[in-house]
Amino acid sequence: MAMTKQEKLDRKAEALYEKKHKNRYRKSAGDRTFDILNHAFFLIFTIMCIFPFYYIFINTISDNDLVRKGAINFIPRGIHLGNYVSMMNVGDVGTALMVTVGRTILGTVLMVLASGFVGYLVTKQEMWGRKVWYRCLIITMYFNAGLIPWYLNMSMLGLTNSFWAYIIPGIVAPYNIILVKTYIESIPAELEESAMIDGASYMTIFRKLIWPLSKPILATIAIFGAVGNWNSFTDSLILMPDAPALHTLQHKLYTYLNAATNLKSVMNSGSGSVTGAAAANVLNAKTIKYTISMVTVLPILMVYPFMQRYFEKGIMLGAVKG
Amino acid sequence: MNKEKVADRLYIVLRILCIAALMSLFIPAINPARISGLISKTSSVFTCGTSYSALTKNFIRAFSRGWVGTLTMQMVFGGSLCMIIGFAATAAGGCMSLGSNKLKKLGTIPSVVGAAVALIGCFMINWAANDIQGTPNPDRVEPMKPTSITLFIVIAVLILVISAAIFVLLPKVGKDDKCHIETKYQLFLLFLPFLALCIVFSYLPLLGWRYAFFDYKSGQSLSAENFAGLKWFKFLFQNPATRSDLVRVIRNTLAMSGLGLATSWCSMAFAIFLCEIKNLKFRRIVQTFTTIPNFISWVLVYAVAFAIFSTDGFVSSLLVNAGVIDTGTNFLMDNSHMWIKMLLWGMWKGLGWNAIIYIAAISGIDQQLYEAASIDGAGRFQKMWNITVPSLIPTFMVLLLMAIAGILNNGMDQYLVFETPYNTNTITVLDLYVYKLGINSGQISLSTVVGMFKSVISVILLFGANKVSKIMRGESII
Repeated sequence: MAMTKQEKLDRKAEALYEKKHKNRYRKSAGDRTFDILNHAFFLIFTIMCIFPFYYIFINTISDNDLVRKGAINFIPRGIHLGNYVSMMNVGDVGTALMVTVGRTILGTVLMVLASGFVGYLVTKQEMWGRKVWYRCLIITMYFNAGLIPWYLNMSMLGLTNSFWAYIIPGIVAPYNIILVKTYIESIPAELEESAMIDGASYMTIFRKLIWPLSKPILATIAIFGAVGNWNSFTDSLILMPDAPALHTLQHKLYTYLNAATNLKSVMNSGSGSVTGAAAANVLNAKTIKYTISMVTVLPILMVYPFMQRYFEKGIMLGAVKG
Repeated sequence: MNKEKVADRLYIVLRILCIAALMSLFIPAINPARISGLISKTSSVFTCGTSYSALTKNFIRAFSRGWVGTLTMQMVFGGSLCMIIGFAATAAGGCMSLGSNKLKKLGTIPSVVGAAVALIGCFMINWAANDIQGTPNPDRVEPMKPTSITLFIVIAVLILVISAAIFVLLPKVGKDDKCHIETKYQLFLLFLPFLALCIVFSYLPLLGWRYAFFDYKSGQSLSAENFAGLKWFKFLFQNPATRSDLVRVIRNTLAMSGLGLATSWCSMAFAIFLCEIKNLKFRRIVQTFTTIPNFISWVLVYAVAFAIFSTDGFVSSLLVNAGVIDTGTNFLMDNSHMWIKMLLWGMWKGLGWNAIIYIAAISGIDQQLYEAASIDGAGRFQKMWNITVPSLIPTFMVLLLMAIAGILNNGMDQYLVFETPYNTNTITVLDLYVYKLGINSGQISLSTVVGMFKSVISVILLFGANKVSKIMRGESII
């Protein structure tokens, strides 16, 4: 929760007041028990949410032999980063990482540009048939033809086994368009009108006025779009059966978690590339799985705490309607 | 004056033709460039004209044995490309027709030229089709008469003639005339590309519903021969195997969605109790860490489950070290209480995040209410129960109605990743069933039928929930 200065001051004053009058406002025994239980519950739940990532992480940086024996549970031992290095060199994880990074950047940029522009266009009452076209866009949020027709359509368009299948369908995102439209509508209309009077064209107004002013909402949809792109898995699974080089990181992770045969080949090629000094740190099935998991989750873990307010803004915006 | 009216009428025909021409470039069933059985059945003119390697994917042997000359295929590629460029040009001309007189007049030029180029493309493909008839190995190459080429020729000729007629009918361009498009059409033309994308990716798939009425096997084309009428609809309910499958799948879907609904108050409770913690730093930390799982994919959730519960995972190694069990067990292979487990994973992922909307609502409650209650002697729990909870009920109702509307859409990711051969009976939900039936088993027609039912029921539920919301709250949710 973002708090205003005033609120913070109020809280402080309240706390001071309570300290002073501690005796008068002494909590009852029931209250205290509740407080303890409450704190304990949230502490445990928080640990449950974060510990698995910590556990995976310490297992990827610890001595691989100890990891295989299951000796690393709370504290890392024999720290080394060899797993990450070998992971990038062997197997196809490097390619998958490139594909995922590529689609995340390109897909997000195009989606944000399109959402900003379309969001601006649909606020223009003058547009021919605006209401009808806007409804056409919005209805698609609530209705879809289903998985198989979608798949057949994509293959008809020649988008199976093609990198563009990740990018093009995501450009027009109705929900984000609604968010941008609502935001632009909250910008005072006088700004645009005065620019109009000065002779600015729609494109100029969009570029010089609307785009800079709607940056907060664009940042929010960008961050959601990026996470969505990074996490997407089904499109890779369904649309890329014959193009393993185009599988996303999530898909790769899924394959590695499931298939034992896959792991053997990686392990063989992996041990080849590891030199004698690090012989103890030969990749094993467990470390491979954990390392890919970590590579897949790390960007989100690192970005999230800094972007949290954008995320929270996003869900609050979810309350608006077209 | 009269001439212009005729031109306006002709423009309507022209625009419809342009749209039809553009659309037909994407429909594989009427692909004239498919002059041989070696060209994929799912290829359209667009795919043939944009990727030479995709077009000639199956021709490697045909080329090396001399069954088909490379020139023939290059002609097919070039012809398709000409058709794409030509029809794109006519479409551009159609867009220009929304402008002033001068722009209209100018717009006829790309229309005429484009139509001519498309015609040339048609003849190139026709030449290639005739050429391929003379192949030394017709059994392998399967030469085909591209009958649909007539359709494209007719469209191109019509566009050519109408554009030329419009050019004659339009008044002469005066010296002071300017290229100009009315604002309303300008805005529409800017919007058009995005509308087209939306139609291609969201409305065009609806055409796929026709597969429900055919005996479709992957790679075949639809024709009168394999038209099956309502066969698959009947099959779904009459065949004992699919019927029991369906019953099981729907039971799973409803059970897991129902459990989700029954526990949807948990995120509200989470928010209320979290707000009872007065230490802001602790609250901040709890909120940050409990929302993270929402932003990782289900595959990663499975990776987490794997790290904690698999044979050599955290729980196993702890238990082994403590001497409780001798060797590690894979708890993920245990198929008991699957519904509850799925619910718990869902809660692990979503609880913290779903609480945020309630936390925001709580901070919006008027503090005077609490103060007044304190003065009246209300305790902490009385305030929670009598002030906080009633204030959150409207939010809760909206979310509950949305959840009811989406009761069939529990997605397939979660259930796909957690599925094992042992738990497939209790874990397969509708979405996953459609995926396995259609993509894995290739039963396109049957799975389309199931998907159709799901889509239609979902929409009905959504409108129902909306109606309920309107009656109860006087506000719609969509």
